[in-house]
Amino acid sequence: MIDWLSFVEVLVAAWLGATVVVGLFALGLRLLAVSGHVPFVPPVEFDEAITVLTPKQVKKETKRVRKAQERNPYSPGVRLIARVGAYALFTLSGLFVLYGIYLMVPYLHH
Amino acid sequence: MSLTLIVVLVIVLALFFDFTNGFHDTANAMATPIATGALRPRPAVALAAVLNLVGAFLSTAVAQTISGGLIKGEGAHIAITPALVLAGLVGAITWNLLTWLWGVPSSSSHALFGGLIGATIVGTWDVGSIDYQVLLGKIVIPAVLSPIVAGLVAYSSTKLAYALTRRSDGRADGRSGFRFGQIFSSSLVALSHGTNDAQKTMGVITLLLISANLQPAGQTGPQWWVILVCAIAIATGTYTGGWRIIRTLGKGLTEVKPAQGFAAEASTAATILASSHLGFALSTTQVASGSVIGSGLGRRDGHVKWGTAGRIALGWLLTLPVAAIVGGVTASIARLGDIGLIADLVIAAVVIIVVFRIDARRRVTAEHMAPRAEAEVASATEALAFARTLTDTAAEGERP
Repeated sequence: MIDWLSFVEVLVAAWLGATVVVGLFALGLRLLAVSGHVPFVPPVEFDEAITVLTPKQVKKETKRVRKAQERNPYSPGVRLIARVGAYALFTLSGLFVLYGIYLMVPYLHH
Repeated sequence: MSLTLIVVLVIVLALFFDFTNGFHDTANAMATPIATGALRPRPAVALAAVLNLVGAFLSTAVAQTISGGLIKGEGAHIAITPALVLAGLVGAITWNLLTWLWGVPSSSSHALFGGLIGATIVGTWDVGSIDYQVLLGKIVIPAVLSPIVAGLVAYSSTKLAYALTRRSDGRADGRSGFRFGQIFSSSLVALSHGTNDAQKTMGVITLLLISANLQPAGQTGPQWWVILVCAIAIATGTYTGGWRIIRTLGKGLTEVKPAQGFAAEASTAATILASSHLGFALSTTQVASGSVIGSGLGRRDGHVKWGTAGRIALGWLLTLPVAAIVGGVTASIARLGDIGLIADLVIAAVVIIVVFRIDARRRVTAEHMAPRAEAEVASATEALAFARTLTDTAAEGERP
């Protein structure tokens, strides 16, 4: 028999897993931006890369990020909490990934 | 031909299939991080290779589905012989190499299952030798549903990633930080690929050893040396990198931004993990493609090139039947005895040499990651003519 219920189970489990990992990481980035430490990771350069930023674009974006840091409306206390919160969320997101690895290895949970 | 010689030949062919599986599927994990510039191509494929190697040792759950499930019969009475495994592998390798040449991210697992099914049916002259319940429930239906599931999950998590980082005041949103996350999410995909796909070849070799009475029938798990050689074969293949397919997945379907890439990889990993946990032998490739499409739909200004997507879907539909037909033909040749077996090996060698020669004529390497129409490929065979229409239309689809 084809077990339709288990397909629904897969959908729900996959949706929950992805939502939690992506949600935590995205919230972490948001808090990092609130704390004034806006991350800027330019694309790596290699021959004929698909995503390419010109040095001018990188410079512009770096400037925009620095500006956002200078004109931060939040008090130092809030910024500190946001920064700690951001790293806590990144850690949590990483722990969920480790949980995924744990699930992958039958040796660990059987 | 002595049984030992056949077994050795089949193992060599199985390992070659494992190698093609590796380079066919490098794209699943590494197309999106390469596309967004999260990783350079070489380090990306090296990372994927190492994680595939590690992954292959972590679990043997999928291998046992193959060595004890799809084909009816128990142990020495199993409906498959070493010669039929050989025929099935020729079918799987042929289709895997052709789709790689065309840059189509098709499922290596379906090629393998198709080849084995075709060979078994023709070899035993018994349509009933295949367990169709297992085929439908564990392979065909998951094949249709898994890319849809992955697509839905990727769509929703892409929306979520953008919503959570959106800043109405126009300040820098820090979305480029997703590039950093992509290194980890794509690694998880590569690792889960190792635990899934390396198993399939291990399962075939184990099936072979059981059918040749070299392994007790009750013991369906792969032996340690089988695990070792399969892990090495898939890792080597992954490192070689299927650049043609990386290009299709990373650029051909939709333009991938870091937030989207991260969401797509997380969805791919989550879907693979959830379903292999429930025992479905699904295709990593189809899940990854579904995720990329879903994430393209989830981004506000994202566009999906449906022409390319349609062609990929057509490739998926053809994979199992075509591999089965080739497997069936080689199996009917194998029925001729030793001469037939030698003829099959010659066919495999010719296919491998021809495909690699066509590839060498118009090589796609790490340095060719930008999209280019490949229409000037000289047409030698019908296969090439098809490849041409494929790249032509893909190129047309890219022009608005």
